[in-house]
Amino acid sequence: MQKKILEFTNILRKSGIRVSTAEAIDAFEALDELSVDQREIFRDALRTTMVKRGEEVPTFDQLFDLFWSGFHDSLREAFGEAAAGLETFGMDLEELLRRIAEALQNLQGDLSELGDLAQALLSADLNMLEKLIREAAEGAGTDRIENFLQVGFFSRRTLDQMNSEGAGAELRELASQLEAAGLSPEDLAALRSLIEGLMEAARKSVRAFTERELQQQNHDYMEKFRRETLLEKSFYHLTEDEIRRMREVVERLAQKIKNILSIRRRRLNKGKLDLHQTLRRNMSHGGIPFELIFKQRKKDRPKLVILCDVSSSVANVSRFMLQFVYSLQEAFTKIRAFVFVAEIGEVTPLFQEADINEAIEKALDGGDVINVYTRSNFGYAFHHFWQNYLSAIDNKTTVLILGDARNNYNDPRAWCIRDIHNKAKNVIWLNPESPSAWGFGDSVMDKYMPYTDLAEECRNLKQLSSVIDRLVL
Amino acid sequence: MFDSVEKVAQSLAEQDYICDSKIATVVFLAHRLEKPVLVEGPAGVGKTELAKVVAAATGRNMIRLQCYEGLDEAKALYEWEYSKQLLYTQILKEQFSEVMAGAKSVAEAAARVGQEDSVFFSDNFIVPRPLMQAIRSEKPALLLVDEVDKSDPEFEAFLLEVLSDFQVTVPELGTIEALSKPLVFLTSNNAREMSDALKRRCLHLYIDYPSEELETRILSTKVPDAGAQLIQDIVQMMHKLRELDLKKVPSISETLDWARALLALNANELDAEMVQQTFSVILKYEGDVRKAEGELSKILQKKAAEAAVAAPSAADAPAPAAVKKGALH
Repeated sequence: MQKKILEFTNILRKSGIRVSTAEAIDAFEALDELSVDQREIFRDALRTTMVKRGEEVPTFDQLFDLFWSGFHDSLREAFGEAAAGLETFGMDLEELLRRIAEALQNLQGDLSELGDLAQALLSADLNMLEKLIREAAEGAGTDRIENFLQVGFFSRRTLDQMNSEGAGAELRELASQLEAAGLSPEDLAALRSLIEGLMEAARKSVRAFTERELQQQNHDYMEKFRRETLLEKSFYHLTEDEIRRMREVVERLAQKIKNILSIRRRRLNKGKLDLHQTLRRNMSHGGIPFELIFKQRKKDRPKLVILCDVSSSVANVSRFMLQFVYSLQEAFTKIRAFVFVAEIGEVTPLFQEADINEAIEKALDGGDVINVYTRSNFGYAFHHFWQNYLSAIDNKTTVLILGDARNNYNDPRAWCIRDIHNKAKNVIWLNPESPSAWGFGDSVMDKYMPYTDLAEECRNLKQLSSVIDRLVL
Repeated sequence: MFDSVEKVAQSLAEQDYICDSKIATVVFLAHRLEKPVLVEGPAGVGKTELAKVVAAATGRNMIRLQCYEGLDEAKALYEWEYSKQLLYTQILKEQFSEVMAGAKSVAEAAARVGQEDSVFFSDNFIVPRPLMQAIRSEKPALLLVDEVDKSDPEFEAFLLEVLSDFQVTVPELGTIEALSKPLVFLTSNNAREMSDALKRRCLHLYIDYPSEELETRILSTKVPDAGAQLIQDIVQMMHKLRELDLKKVPSISETLDWARALLALNANELDAEMVQQTFSVILKYEGDVRKAEGELSKILQKKAAEAAVAAPSAADAPAPAAVKKGALH
């Protein structure tokens, strides 16, 4: 049992559930307190001690089912079939075994001369069989299985390891000995068919075991792989499903930054001694300064104006940018968001009404203020912004522009950005294209670059989060 | 008293808390292994309630620590009572003069005073806050650290000492160990992921929205006056609502409020008008109400169609009894 639980712990770990040694010990202690014959309670005990994250519970449940059940049942099923084959001969397993034992007595021998496997097969000792298969699988290294193509290979190795061929030969040998000893031809035919049936059942069971092992080992493997690479995956190639998952990743990153912010901000609170407040606070102590009050150092939270290109080529970057920024709302004094393709329009109100994700979806559709089904024209959009919204920018404002600067050979009107730059504290341009492509073809990035304080490539979450990190701290 | 998992479920049921074996198992283990429990789950599924009923079932005194941003050890652990110390210094001035009498130098006088300072840093002058209270309680207590996710990450650090060793270290006094180990429940709405160190020390319990069957049982226990038909309608409706993409998904506490509200309105079963009137009890956002209304008409139409097929038995159910006072909040 102990070994099985440790094995299970390993499988959990492989699937990305972090189970510490202390937690595994807790699990053992918990099981000591409980009667483990009730499956539900057994599972609850393991879950409560080993799984500490709500989102890991489904993984645990699936693995639990895979690991703790089924194999014995599938064994029983496979060998039940083999035994059922005897019915065509009009007898059942026990009856046949009894007759064999009788015949064996004439031979002055007994079944214990057979190997473990042959014995277990013949007497349909499922517990013994399970143990043998598990040991053999361990010997064959089945726990290293990685993909479906290896199932055949590891099944074969497991069978070799438990010497199933040898056991088959032993059994067939036994049959011929029994024939010599005068077992009736009908019984003999039944026995021979049983032996073949058993061998087949053993093969099936081993294969089933190997497949289960694959499922266990591989569970969440892809999931984990995807999650890790999601951080570095380019925004250009995201599937619907990945967008959904990416949203969770963004949320988690934002949360992380928030935690860091709260710590940094508290450190900032230690300014100079505030004499005034200290005296006031300690009046109840007769003016003796027991509690010291410090002045708070003020940290300017930036004002943010975001200009998002929402043309289809960069829509995803805009999506995560917006989500990120709005998840960190409290780190900014004020956020104003604009979207553009050729026209530009403000979508700030969307975020005040609906929840973030809903607002983002609306904003990406142009937020009812702009037409998204045109060709990008950065110059026109910036000019429009310059005419109507330049007052949104003051010397505390950071302007964040997101776009690939592919202007379809229109006039870039870079002087708009120059004016914005003159008024704003910072202008940051995030471009999902790599810098080597800037300024080539219809890219006018090079025209805008002189007026930005920072122009960065931003093609995946890692880069996005590092920019945001710099922005808020 | 908590001999087995079944016993736990039973004694919680006696306190009108209906739970599945998952919850009962965790409570049982927490009791046996003397380990804290971290209860997570959406708002309103009865996390805090669980701690309360466990306290009631075990006859323990419940000590509650409500967490919030900026909670520090002075409010959670202990605090020195400055004013009292000051007052005592004033009163004992003469004694101090005696102590210092004959001292040849300032240094000597200070040393003599220094010898006495343990007087001022003793149990007399300490104000125990919830964590310390739980540790020092003579009778085994139950400590509820509510909404621990609202506290700052640093707060977890001194929770750790309490949770793993059931002791508190006061620099001036030394380490105070628990006289009797308290049962500890921490609840979290997952506003922030708790640190692994904290999680490792706790048993973990995730309470989700209940299954239809469980919710029916909870309703019939908590709102016994509601008829079977009403309960069934409510539970079905709630489960449909939870499938929608709502901003605030209604949970068990909303179900109970709703049942009580409907009962107060003398409803025997759900109909469109009744639901419209009482939607505000379960849905807390305008957008959610709009979303749910669409779904509602679908459900009720289906129900009406089914009712039309079944012969309309117009037996009037007896008017439900008045709602328990104070049940609505």
